Amino acid sequence: MTRARRRLLATLAAGVLALTGCSSSAGDTPASSLDPPNWKSVLTAAKGQTVNWYMYGGDDTLNTFVNGYVADRLKKVGVSLNQVKVTDTGDAVNAVLGQKQAGKTAGGAVDAIWINGENFATGAQAKLWYCGWVKDLPNARYVDFTDPAVSSDFGVPVNGCESVWQQADSALVYNSGALSAADAGSVSSLFAWAKRHPGRFTYPALPDFTGSMAVRTILYDTIGGPRSLSGPFDEAKYAPAAAKLFARLTAIAPSLWRGGSTYPQSEDAVEKLYADGVIDAYYTYGPGAVADKVAKGQYPKTTREAVLSVGNIGNISSIAIPADAAHRAAALVLANLLQDPATQLALYQAEGIYPGIDLTRTSPPIRHAFAAIAPSPSVLPLAALLRNAQPELASGYVTRIDKDWKSAVLQK
Amino acid sequence: MPSFRSSRLPRGLRITLLLSPAAVVIGVFFLGGVSQAVAQSFGYQPFLPDYHWSTDAYRAIWLDPAVRASLLITLRVSLASTVIAAVSGVAAALAIRGLRRGRGWVTGLFQVNLAVPHLVGALCMLLLLGQSGVIARLTLTAGLSTSPAAFPQLTGDRFGWGIIAEYAWKETPFVGIIALAALSRGVADLENAARVLGATQWQRRRHVTLPLLAPPVAAASVLVFAFAAGTYEVPYLLGRSYPATLSVVALQDYRDTDLSVRPQAMAVAVVITLLTTVLVIAYLALAKRLSGRPL
Repeated sequence: MTRARRRLLATLAAGVLALTGCSSSAGDTPASSLDPPNWKSVLTAAKGQTVNWYMYGGDDTLNTFVNGYVADRLKKVGVSLNQVKVTDTGDAVNAVLGQKQAGKTAGGAVDAIWINGENFATGAQAKLWYCGWVKDLPNARYVDFTDPAVSSDFGVPVNGCESVWQQADSALVYNSGALSAADAGSVSSLFAWAKRHPGRFTYPALPDFTGSMAVRTILYDTIGGPRSLSGPFDEAKYAPAAAKLFARLTAIAPSLWRGGSTYPQSEDAVEKLYADGVIDAYYTYGPGAVADKVAKGQYPKTTREAVLSVGNIGNISSIAIPADAAHRAAALVLANLLQDPATQLALYQAEGIYPGIDLTRTSPPIRHAFAAIAPSPSVLPLAALLRNAQPELASGYVTRIDKDWKSAVLQK
Repeated sequence: MPSFRSSRLPRGLRITLLLSPAAVVIGVFFLGGVSQAVAQSFGYQPFLPDYHWSTDAYRAIWLDPAVRASLLITLRVSLASTVIAAVSGVAAALAIRGLRRGRGWVTGLFQVNLAVPHLVGALCMLLLLGQSGVIARLTLTAGLSTSPAAFPQLTGDRFGWGIIAEYAWKETPFVGIIALAALSRGVADLENAARVLGATQWQRRRHVTLPLLAPPVAAASVLVFAFAAGTYEVPYLLGRSYPATLSVVALQDYRDTDLSVRPQAMAVAVVITLLTTVLVIAYLALAKRLSGRPL
């Protein structure tokens, strides 16, 4: 018995060694030999590589753009694109974290991630990112690095660890057949409307990205803008603001969808409720994508957008490259292509996604092309969205609000 | 296999070699994963600069209202779906056995959903039972309800009806197929013998058929319970974010962007593992009693 068991153990140990031994192969790009300021060397190294780009995959129009326009342009410089769709950007960060935990320093499966906010902060916390390359991209000349939304991401200094891709401005989407423009004018008028029409408004359960933004918009309205909460997290500033916010949210909860006893699990679920006519208004980070849904008949023709009187939260989302990425050169080529004014224009045309670059730095034809695109009547024009744009809070505040919302609102 | 039998390898080594592929898989992927989870639940986070070993995560989940609420709904959902699947599975097996014609055809139809993944099943339930689902639309068209919101909440509800419906739908044929396999010709012979000796139909069911069915059906039920208590996708799609089942809470914590919450996610996962282990031990004890001999 004991001899047999010892033998079994020995066999097991040999098996484990064999399995772990073959997992530490080297990456395709020796990370040290790459020199981003010498862009030609990057292009040469990238030729023949496949870039594994992890990104939120819930937006069909964006997926088409990525696998069409972006993939085609990459192919011209000899780079293949493999889009890896995730439901939550946190999953991509977890994948990189898992590699780091397993002791991998090269040959990682994730080459690029579409990212910002808390997920970027998580990776920074665990030192996952490849840094210091952002200003070396040839198209970085179109980026305004003095813009605080570019130099810091939800309060976390970017330090050249992620390159700008697109701008997201939030808006309220509503059915003008059910709400008047005045109802969609401010948080107070929206809540008053919700009280008269119980069950017709909701937001996704936090920590959903959009749900978190909806709650922060209400916070800004409650405390008169984000100014009093600027800078890093401060408990003394946070506590009184949070108390007022959660009192207001619990007061409106009985008038929300299902009496506020529960909240949809994701923004997808909220959009489905709107498409099914169960609710009449919701917050979005992608106001440009609404036109497409109206055109396809998924949303009513009376769909409109509004910026509430408090203003709208906007942020910039970017491309980060994990330090252990196997195809670093190809990821750099991708990040550069995404900042190309022609790409930004094509993205705006395809889905109404706003440019992450500074349009005043682009050539006149590009600027004219942007101005010439007439938005659908359902969608707010770029100027209206930017007029009263509000910055994000430091990620320390965002995490705390996400957490406290659960105990103060969801679990009530 | 004659080549193995005639080989000169000692018996112990031969068995070890034959078992080693399976043992390596279990050792690396199962034991390795579980030990990682246990280590992380005690604060082992090598990717953070300042981690330390502690039992903080277990204390935190003990106090977490989300975990406390999830115990009740996890037990409720798993128990209800197991009981429904076991009772209707055995009933269906007995009914199918009683068929004179078309038995093969009905059996095939009965087990057709075994190949459907739970994820697809959950989406089907959502389309069927949701407030804007097929049934809700039919009642609306028929004038039985006035608006989508007036239709009873069967998905994303507090009780977990939608989750129970999906598990019951998917697991009934699973229990049924196992019961059908147990109802072999030998069982019919024993039933006939009991009838010859004067047993009524009820007595034959009670003293012959059900005792023979009990061990395999109990085994299937434990599998169903452990599965229902541990899977994530069905309660995520059909349930609420609070109260949610343990598996959903574990994933919510795992996905938390604050890495210091990670040990709590692992602690919940360890609790689920312990729960399942206790169940298997309970099953082994039960099966021993039911069949009257050790397995």
